[in-house]
Amino acid sequence: MPEIRVVNFSKHFGKVRAVDNVSFDVKDGEFVALLGPSGCGKTTTLLTLAGIYKPTSGEIYFDDQLMNNVPPKYRNISMVFQNYALYPHMTVFENIAFPLKAKKMSKEEIEKKVLEVTKKLMIDKLLDRKPMQISGGQQQRVALARALVKEPAVLLFDEPLSNLDAKLRMMMRAEIKKLQSDLGITSVYVTHDQAEAMTMASRIAVFSMGKLVQYGTPDEIYNEPKNMFVAAFIGNPPMNFMENFKVQSKDGELFATRGDIMVKLPPKAKEVKFEKTEGLVLGFRPEHCKIAKKEVENSIPANVYVLEPLGRDLIVNLKVKGVGGESELIKIFAEPGMNFEIEEKVYIIPDPEKLHLFDPETEETIL
Amino acid sequence: MAELRLNFFQRNSSKISQAVMIIILVLITSPILLGYAWLILRSFSVDMVHGFIPTKLTLKNWRFLWQEMKGYPNIWRTFLNTFWIALWVMILEALITSMGGYALSRYDFPGRTSMLRFILVLHAFPSISLMVAIYYVLKVIGLLDNLWGIILLKASLEIPWGTWVMKGFYDGIPWELEWAGLVDGYGRFEVWRKIVIPLVKPGIAVTAIFAFLSGWSEFVFINTFIFSQNAWTLSKYVKGIIGDFRFADYGLLTAVGLFYVIPTIVFFFFVNKYMIKLTIGGVKG
Repeated sequence: MPEIRVVNFSKHFGKVRAVDNVSFDVKDGEFVALLGPSGCGKTTTLLTLAGIYKPTSGEIYFDDQLMNNVPPKYRNISMVFQNYALYPHMTVFENIAFPLKAKKMSKEEIEKKVLEVTKKLMIDKLLDRKPMQISGGQQQRVALARALVKEPAVLLFDEPLSNLDAKLRMMMRAEIKKLQSDLGITSVYVTHDQAEAMTMASRIAVFSMGKLVQYGTPDEIYNEPKNMFVAAFIGNPPMNFMENFKVQSKDGELFATRGDIMVKLPPKAKEVKFEKTEGLVLGFRPEHCKIAKKEVENSIPANVYVLEPLGRDLIVNLKVKGVGGESELIKIFAEPGMNFEIEEKVYIIPDPEKLHLFDPETEETIL
Repeated sequence: MAELRLNFFQRNSSKISQAVMIIILVLITSPILLGYAWLILRSFSVDMVHGFIPTKLTLKNWRFLWQEMKGYPNIWRTFLNTFWIALWVMILEALITSMGGYALSRYDFPGRTSMLRFILVLHAFPSISLMVAIYYVLKVIGLLDNLWGIILLKASLEIPWGTWVMKGFYDGIPWELEWAGLVDGYGRFEVWRKIVIPLVKPGIAVTAIFAFLSGWSEFVFINTFIFSQNAWTLSKYVKGIIGDFRFADYGLLTAVGLFYVIPTIVFFFFVNKYMIKLTIGGVKG
């Protein structure tokens, strides 16, 4: 299985810079997710790995082989498409056998391999059907079988689960992850669903506006987001942001303050060199807070706005009085068993270890 | 609440609207239907009274099928000529438009947009205005009074329109299918042949059908560029009957006319399902 290296890769369509100077690598057998909103360049990058697009500049390597001008059929790759791209005029069997026929395999061998892979994916009863005659979930499995049957060196996924319903998506998520780790095929997986990327990938490349913003393990992306975009994109509900904070020191400790709000910063804040100490954005995740009903130190007063019960969890939407009379909406996961009244006054206690500070102009992470 | 009472028209609204629709359709199509009815009746009768009532039935008008007619070429030879033209116009057009349409749909080459516009203008251009120029071209390449001249001429005039139609069919095929084929280990040409062509079959069928019919019914070019009776087609044969040098034999005219449309009707009968697909538009898939 090859290692993939992407070096200073750019792809322009006319004047549009779809991908702009992106570099990353995928280790042998690794599962990497390219994550970002639509139009961020992740699919363009994937199609370039597949050889369907050629880079405008930069290089793509599989191991030490430069792949820029190698046509797809010599790359030994497979791809699963968002709309599955099953050939509508062929039966399920013919669809899965299609890549094997390109390899000029014998009939018996093709039959054996197709049966093997379809058994594994539990679609061996559908071989005579046309793609139109099976359900979306089954089509998805056929697409997966077609990708796996030729035992490729690299597997590429282009949002393969986004056409499935939520329940099936959760199921296939685990199944694809298991298949990939069993087979050990180097895989690149494009998605706009942060939950998919977090649960499946060993490393995530977060894309925004054609640029690679951050590349790291799910843990790093979640705990140490590089900027506000990554912080807001990962997690559901996303990170809460509050504007206009000042950093002040008091009794040898650092605090973020705004008006009468005062939140203690973690000890590691002392090692940060602050270029600015005013007008900063404070960020904390909904799951890294507690809610108190009585006033405590280092808390943020707020009013309950609306409740979103999820069965196991309860998301409390709170309004915090902002600067200049406008209020900010904050979402917090409440502890189980807590009850709230609308408009009730409560106090948010963020976990100081999990607090972030951002520069609102560059959107870069300070803390 | 008071009981809701429906009157007669409300209760039977769907039946009534259907009946009205049928009456309207019959009225609209009656001129054509009556025309064909007259054609059929006249071809089997000696004469007609009151315009519509045959006096005596006969097969004499159909004698051209089994005996040589003086002053006319053999009907079967003429029939084969017509079929030959229709067939080759169909083959050439299906072949060229299926490739041209793909290129226009998938490849971004310089001049593509202007070509697309130009094609439509070309189709709007009345071919009759090209007569003199075509005469010279055919004369220079030695295809005057030759069926191949008509075939090439007809095909080249039909190809722009056919290419446009085929482009529409190709546009309906998602790129992902082609990409999947490339990734599955095939070259671009194989992908076109094995994946794309089977999916645009209805489009190819439709262009081929129209090409065949237009070749079958061609008259103006044959009347102008074909001189020898050996190369006559059925349309020219019909014209010959009402020609300038003899009295029109209406019995013969109707019989030949009917003979001329029979293959077309049979043809439509077989290709109906493809025609319906055209009106639905594009490819299912």
